[in-house]
Amino acid sequence: MPVIFINGEAVDTGEHRTVLQAALANGFYVPHFCWHPELSVVGNCRVCLVEQEGRGVNIACNMPVVDGMRIETDSETVRAQRKAMLQFILLNHPVDCGICDKAGECALQDYHYAYNGEPALSREPKQKGTKFYPLSSRILLDNERCILCSRCVRFTREVSKSNVLGIEYRGDSALVRPAEDRTLDDDPYSDNVIDICPVGALLSRSFLHQARVWYLEPTPSVCPRCARGCNVQLWHRKPEWRLKGLDPAQNTRILRVTPLENPRVNGPWICNRGRDLGEVLERPRAEQALQKGAGVTMMEAIEATRALMAESTRSIALVSSWASNEELRAFRNALGDNFTSFVKPDRLPEEGEVVEDELLIRADKNPNTRGAQALFGSDPPEIPEDADLILVWGEGVDFGRLPRGAKTVFLGSWLLPEVGHADVFIPLSIQTERRGHYTNFEGVVSAFESCQPRPEGVIDAETLFPLLAAPGAWGRG
Amino acid sequence: MTGRKVLTGFEITADSHTLAAYRARGGYEALARALETMQPEDVTQEIVDSGIQGRGGAAFPAGRKWQGIDPHDGQPHYLIANADEGEPGTFKDRWVLEHDPHALLESMLLGSYALGVRHAFVYIRGEYDRPWRRLDAAVEEAYAEGLFGENILGSGFSCDLFVFRGAGAYVCGEASSLLGSIEGTRAWPRNRPPRMTVRGLYQAPTVVNNVETIASVAWIIRNGAQAFREIGTEKSPGTRLISISGHIRYPGVYEVELGYSWTKFLHEDCGGLLCNKALKAVIPGGISSQVLTGMDAKVLTPGEVEGMTLDHEVLRAAGSSLGSGGMIVIAAGTCMVRLLQIMLRFYRHESCGQCTPCREGTGWMHRIIDRIVAGDGRPEDIGTLYHIARFNDGTTICGLGDAAGYAAIAMLDNFRDEFDHYIEHGHSKFGGNLECQ
Ligand SMILES: Cc1cc2nc3c(=O)[nH]c(=O)nc-3n(C[C@H](O)[C@H](O)[C@H](O)COP(=O)(O)O)c2cc1C
Ligand code: SF4
Ligand code: SF4
Ligand code: SF4
Ligand code: FES
Repeated sequence: MPVIFINGEAVDTGEHRTVLQAALANGFYVPHFCWHPELSVVGNCRVCLVEQEGRGVNIACNMPVVDGMRIETDSETVRAQRKAMLQFILLNHPVDCGICDKAGECALQDYHYAYNGEPALSREPKQKGTKFYPLSSRILLDNERCILCSRCVRFTREVSKSNVLGIEYRGDSALVRPAEDRTLDDDPYSDNVIDICPVGALLSRSFLHQARVWYLEPTPSVCPRCARGCNVQLWHRKPEWRLKGLDPAQNTRILRVTPLENPRVNGPWICNRGRDLGEVLERPRAEQALQKGAGVTMMEAIEATRALMAESTRSIALVSSWASNEELRAFRNALGDNFTSFVKPDRLPEEGEVVEDELLIRADKNPNTRGAQALFGSDPPEIPEDADLILVWGEGVDFGRLPRGAKTVFLGSWLLPEVGHADVFIPLSIQTERRGHYTNFEGVVSAFESCQPRPEGVIDAETLFPLLAAPGAWGRG
Repeated sequence: MTGRKVLTGFEITADSHTLAAYRARGGYEALARALETMQPEDVTQEIVDSGIQGRGGAAFPAGRKWQGIDPHDGQPHYLIANADEGEPGTFKDRWVLEHDPHALLESMLLGSYALGVRHAFVYIRGEYDRPWRRLDAAVEEAYAEGLFGENILGSGFSCDLFVFRGAGAYVCGEASSLLGSIEGTRAWPRNRPPRMTVRGLYQAPTVVNNVETIASVAWIIRNGAQAFREIGTEKSPGTRLISISGHIRYPGVYEVELGYSWTKFLHEDCGGLLCNKALKAVIPGGISSQVLTGMDAKVLTPGEVEGMTLDHEVLRAAGSSLGSGGMIVIAAGTCMVRLLQIMLRFYRHESCGQCTPCREGTGWMHRIIDRIVAGDGRPEDIGTLYHIARFNDGTTICGLGDAAGYAAIAMLDNFRDEFDHYIEHGHSKFGGNLECQ
């Protein structure tokens, strides 16, 4: 392993092949715009300057590690050159931070404060560029803010492989643009470019001017929309910044979803469906327990279910592949002997959705099929004609196709038609209202935390199952 | 006469560019002999011994570049003749392409043999029409006689040649950018490391040489490295094709033996300056080489250009270079502020826009000079121009950004009073003249 000296300290460079990687991995921060760990090295922003003894100043991201080399990341020359470089980067930058969604998490802002901090040297008018250029139905491009680091271009070439983005024209007229006849709508991973853009040039339409990021905080979670189980961050207002005047739902609303890097699951990426969690989670909720379509209290619904279970001689459970490992275990422990259980898919690929690809997206559109099958087997659901009680946990079951004579108990979260068709309906909490774990298709377990209050009238499955099995009604066998 | 000849020592007639005429002057004999009697390494050694320096701009020793490739390492290799000739003032490769295309082709074959190249390329400037037609016809002639393709002259050596026409960007002449243009990606210069002889075209070891550099190879193999060394000076062997333009009576392409007197060249061979003006300045090798002063000299003593010889060391010592061989003669009475404006407009327009200092710096300098020329200059502009120009040096990916800086610094250093005058008075000391009146 080559050993190099950074600011006088010996550093074992390990697996790292460039000075930038070795420096970052060992706690020496070197600013960088164009370099990204998952993308090829292009060395175009020229901000990652370091000084090599005897060789002068050069960019660290393309500097191979050579045993014994001596690197200064903060020498006087480096500081002066870096400062000048930032003047160049800012030359045509509009600095409209006041209306820029990136403000607060912008590398250009951070570096300016850390390494430059001086007013513009230039007195020339700035180059005008397109603002709000529509790249797709999801993304807007601000060419004035773009610093032409080409991360977004390389992402569509090297990671998502849609090849949609390129750079047109030359010099200070160069512009990021989609390829002719293409839009970023063709790229199911497009929104990652918003995250990796070091500045506020790529803007999410859904998040546009929704919030200043310093009022928000992320809750770690797991995307439930396919068996990859990408780790995500759900961004919502910080508790201390909740506004009394605001509709309480707005105070806890998820304003955006970003990837949470996990090399074993999703790396630093997620697909656009993961960003659109609201499509699933924010459907109208069922918050009222029902018996044959008529409102009852939670206790009445539980009693009614227990009565149905007591009468039944052939009980079948269709277990949710959206349930957490904790809930699944609670079900097995409390009710495993009462039901013959099958795991069912809650959701199937939708019209127009990418079914499966080589990057992240899996054909199984449920987060915990593997966790559920570990407890309840992988046999496809098979409902005997003489079944007299069917417990349906989660969505995806057509009640019309269940055996006629069977009673039905439905545990669900959203206001679906089945809610009224079941003999008993019990409303459950959703993922953002509880904590738990999912096991992805490769067996990697990821945790999600709660960030929203459970609505009144709704119960956690983990609480519910022991109640259904309470001693006195039936022994646990 | 401008000394001994390597490339232009034959009479141009209606068909002197054809294969038959080339053969009649001994063409393709060196190839036949090399394939029969020399190992690839011997050819490279001959080029090393000849001491020939690159003719494309940087004057890097060609032999040393070639030694960067091991012809027997089992990988594919590529040899590319750079015929992009985009440097303003430069039109000397055009002479080779039009009048002696077979010298280039024979040399490409020798180079390909030396470097273990199966597929060789000529990357030619898109605007070059007649040169391209002549080259294309020559390639056809050569193929028809089995000089390209499989098993050339029964030697077992095979090589194919592709002529690739560029689409008109100056930066595509930069060797690594040219690779992208051939590969079909955006023609952006690439960072070194890796060197192109390690990872070049299609990721394979590649040598890119200027047309004139390569075209000299056939002569060197035919006559021997020693004979080449006898021409020119000790440190700058051989000749240079110089395309001279500007305020000069007989513009055109001249082959000049290195070490030749500059006075004689300007005043005898090229007929002296237009309108019998005094020499104000010379840009010796394309606008990316630093301007040198003539009679109005500030840095050099008066008339020093006239006292110099044309070779790499002397020009280097004077703070400039023979660059691309595109010599631009500037007569007394020319406005250097306007001239710099035109140069900076060029760099701004041609910057590929990839790296920060060049993309922003060329535009910044151009906007400042535009403002000065419009009469709105400010005293601090000179300092800012220096700051930008100096910063560009060495902080960019390719030489374009550096060159823009060098050009500006040399103009400011040598003609500072004109810039000060323009800023102070809001107009040119020389009426904004670019023409010779
Ligand atoms: C912006 C730029 C433009 C260039 N244009 C040319 C060109 O048109 N022709 C050329 O031969 N070399 C050009 N060069 C130099 C090439 O990069 C390269 O050094 C040269 O082709 C190598 O040939 P040589 O070693 O035989 O001189 C250019 C360099 C730069 C930085
Ligand atoms: S990209 Fe950064 S520096 Fe530019 S306007 Fe936005 S927050 Fe400000
Ligand atoms: S849009 Fe953003 S990521 Fe893309 S090149 Fe511009 S600054 Fe870089
Ligand atoms: S120096 Fe200029 S031309 Fe060269 S890579 Fe950088 S931006 Fe492009
Ligand atoms: S991070 Fe090294 S040049 Fe951009």
